[in-house]
This record gives sequence, structure tokens and C-alpha cells, in this order.
Amino acid sequence: MTHAYGNAPTGIMQPPEVRLPGDDHFARRAQRLQALAERNAPLGEFLGFMAQLATAQQVALERATGWQPDPEAFRLALEHGMPPLNAQALQGDIDIQGELTALLGALELHVGEAQRPLIAALRELPDATLKQLMAQLLAGEAGDEQHCGLMPLIAAALQVAWQRLVQALPHAPARPSGETRTLCPCCGSPPVASVIESEASCSGVRYLQCGLCATQWYFERSLCSVCEQSGKLSYLSLAPQTGEGEDEATAEAAQAEACGDCGSYLKIFPRTLDAEAEPLADDLGSLALDLLLGEEGRYRRSGFNPLLIAEG
Amino acid sequence: MTLRVSRRQFFKLGAAGMATSSMAMMGFAPDPAIASIRHFKLTGAKITRSNCTYCSVGCGVLIYARGDAAINNIDDIYHVEGDPDHPVSRGSLCPKGAGLLDYIRSESRLRYPQVREAGSREWKRISWDEAFTRIARHMKDDRDANFVTQDDEGNTVNHWTTTGMLAASASTNETAYCTHKIARSLGMVAFDNQARV
Repeated sequence: MTHAYGNAPTGIMQPPEVRLPGDDHFARRAQRLQALAERNAPLGEFLGFMAQLATAQQVALERATGWQPDPEAFRLALEHGMPPLNAQALQGDIDIQGELTALLGALELHVGEAQRPLIAALRELPDATLKQLMAQLLAGEAGDEQHCGLMPLIAAALQVAWQRLVQALPHAPARPSGETRTLCPCCGSPPVASVIESEASCSGVRYLQCGLCATQWYFERSLCSVCEQSGKLSYLSLAPQTGEGEDEATAEAAQAEACGDCGSYLKIFPRTLDAEAEPLADDLGSLALDLLLGEEGRYRRSGFNPLLIAEG
Repeated sequence: MTLRVSRRQFFKLGAAGMATSSMAMMGFAPDPAIASIRHFKLTGAKITRSNCTYCSVGCGVLIYARGDAAINNIDDIYHVEGDPDHPVSRGSLCPKGAGLLDYIRSESRLRYPQVREAGSREWKRISWDEAFTRIARHMKDDRDANFVTQDDEGNTVNHWTTTGMLAASASTNETAYCTHKIARSLGMVAFDNQARV
């Protein structure tokens, strides 16, 4: 309802429980990564490359492809509350080689000298090795040191493949229940980070976001996304080392939702502090928070970001 | 409390691991990022679920307090917002509820029992025990003096009309039951709830 003084609320807020990414998802992520690269000098080059990668993902996504999953299988999975795009079940069906080739083709022209060898190495990667690395990524494993630099690019191709699957879904799945509440309702992967919405239709609602297919699903505020306890949660963020600014409310947009019960943390981005936040992009952009938490050593990270892999 | 940790893996993204991370292997030096953390420290906040204190709707609120027991001990509430997960209010707050922060931080907020003796102009702080004792004494004296067992026509009424009670609103069913039993058992008839205020 609109009147002279603005908009009046029109009844009870009913936020969607599961939100599928739009078909311009990678382009928006690229935009966000580019913006983060410009304001974050120590990570500028890295984030700039990730922006190029996301742009290439969007190009790769828009090409036509042959294999489409059986719609009947989707219907059956949705009806029975199973993840319709189960990462383990579908990894044999997707055309990873095709997705990767398209991605590298789109990326090739935009990379610097230092990254060219990665593309060459990926093109020569034996099929069996590619499949093995793919399986490790889908299982959330870091893999061996030798292939560490290639993993994010393979992960990017996997994200394109799953994004394609998401777009073929007839409708969003229901919110996961019980034991699987903290796993993606589309593909069963763990969340990479979460976001707190600020727009009126879902103001204050938190969504976890999948690191593989970027599906977002409702998860209560102030609740650990690993052990589902709420008693010992702290929201940790970076503040300037100088004593000034103590009196102001924490304004750093990246926060770690750290749980004293299970000793883990997952990043959370309130849009009231930065309206443009995109969980995966902002997770990369707030690496300093991870580094400081890593030095401090009280909490371990639960979010698996396939575009930045450190020790497993 | 059962602590349920699903089969999730944990990672350490510390400075030591950055040299062998995918970032370094892809040709991006992690050193500037590692160096940048020297300018920062961690600051903590807690978010606690609660209920709005004002009326019987009992809207859910999230209360933000600065401080993390392990880092520093400043327990200072700086923000209150509607709880979007609350089944009744779903994040909404009325103007009174939206102003809870000012209520919490109000200078004139009552924090402990006080008494102003008859004829005095000063409020004096007293202990809870003293407060309860005094209230009980006043109630007993007044009830003994004014309790009515029968009305003018000889009907048994057993009521006590000279003292009333105003109960709190955001109470559980159990609290409400006990409150009701206490007031009515004493024969009190002037009995209301702050929910209607």
C-alpha cells in the first residue's frame, strides 16, 4: 500500500524458503568481484581474476548444450524431498570436459601471463585425472598439492554445469528438514556462506548459499549452521587496530558466525551493512577475516569455497 | 543438550597455509593480504533471542550486544530488531517495540526495588528481600482489615476489593496460571494484565 509517506506493510512477511539463482547469476557475481577488487588492494589482482572467471562462467553457461536430465527424475526427487541435483549422483552424467573447454575458451583472452600455464595444464589433463579432481571437489576435499592451482578452474566449470541443471528445474525444491537442514536442497552440498536480507519482502531473513549451485535456502538467524546450537555464538568481524571507533557499532560487512559449541565458523553478510553482498564473492573478498581467525586459532572454517582452496 | 556435528569438514585458512593455497598456485602472491591483517583486530558481538516486553503479543526480537566473552567484556546492547523467524510476529515490531533500545538504555529505567516512605520526597534503594517483606506485610494488613466474607444481604462473597494487581504481559502460560491462582486465592477482584494497557 503506497501513501504520501511511503509504503505501508501489507500483511505478514512470507519470505520464499528456497531461492534459485537467476540466469544472470555469474554476471552479477563478476560485477561484485570487480567492485571488491577495486576497493581491496591487497587482493585486487586475485579478485580481478576471479571476476574474469565469473564472466567466463556466464559466457560458458549461455552456450547450447546437449545433455538434459530426465524431467521425470526431477519430479520424483522434488515430490519426495530429495535433492534433485544431487552432486554425488549426477557427477557421472554431466559433461565436465565440455564445460571446462568452453570455460577456458572464454577465459583465455583475459588472463595474465602468470595464469596461462594453468589453462595449458588443464587442456592436457588426462580425462581420468579430471574426473578424480572433480570427485574431490564435489566431496569438499582439497585434493593434492600438485593440482591445487587447477582446482578452482575445475570448480568453476562444475558451477556452470550445476547452474545449467538448476535452470532446468521445474520449480524450487522445498526447504530441507531435519538432519539435512544445513545442506543445499538442490544438490546436497554444504553452504559457502550466508546472507541476511534487507528488502521489505524478506527483511532480516537469513539464507545459506550453496557453494556449488548457488541456491539459497532459509535458515534461522543466530543458529550455528553446523551443529544447530545457538548458545555460544559470536559474530566476529575486523576492526581497525587503532583504538578509535570503539563506540560505533561494528560496521564491517563481513562477519564470522562463530560457534563455541562445535568450534567452527561460517561467514555471514548482512545486507544492511553492504546491500550488494554476494556470499561467494564476498567470502573471497574477506580473506583477511579468515587469516586473522586462523592466526587466533579458536575456530575452524566450515565453509568450503571451491574457488579458494587451502589445506583440507 | 546434544551436540550434533554433521560429517562436515573443517578448514584452516591461516597465513601459514596460504603459500600452498590455490591462490598462490594460480600465481597470486598472498603476502599483501597476509600483511594487511596486522592493521586489524577481531571485534565481537552477540545476538540473543528474546521477546518484546510490552504486550501480550510477545513479538520476537533479536538483541545485539557488543563484546565476546573471550575477547573483551563490554556487554553493551546497541541494537534491537524484529526476529524474522518468530512464528507470531515474523520480524514485525510496532512503534513501541521498535523503540526497545531506548527503553533498555533509558536513564529513568527501574533497575532495582525502591521505596518512597510516606511523607518523604526521596526514593530509597532497598533489597529484593526487604521489598518482598514489605509488600507482603502491606497486603496482609490491608486484607485483614478489609476482607469481606458476606455482603449486606448475607451472601458469602469472600472478596478483597481494596488492593489490586497488575500482572506482566509477556508471561508464559505457567506464570500466568500461578499469578492468577495467587491473586484469586487471596480473594482479590481488581486484577488486570498489562497486555490490555
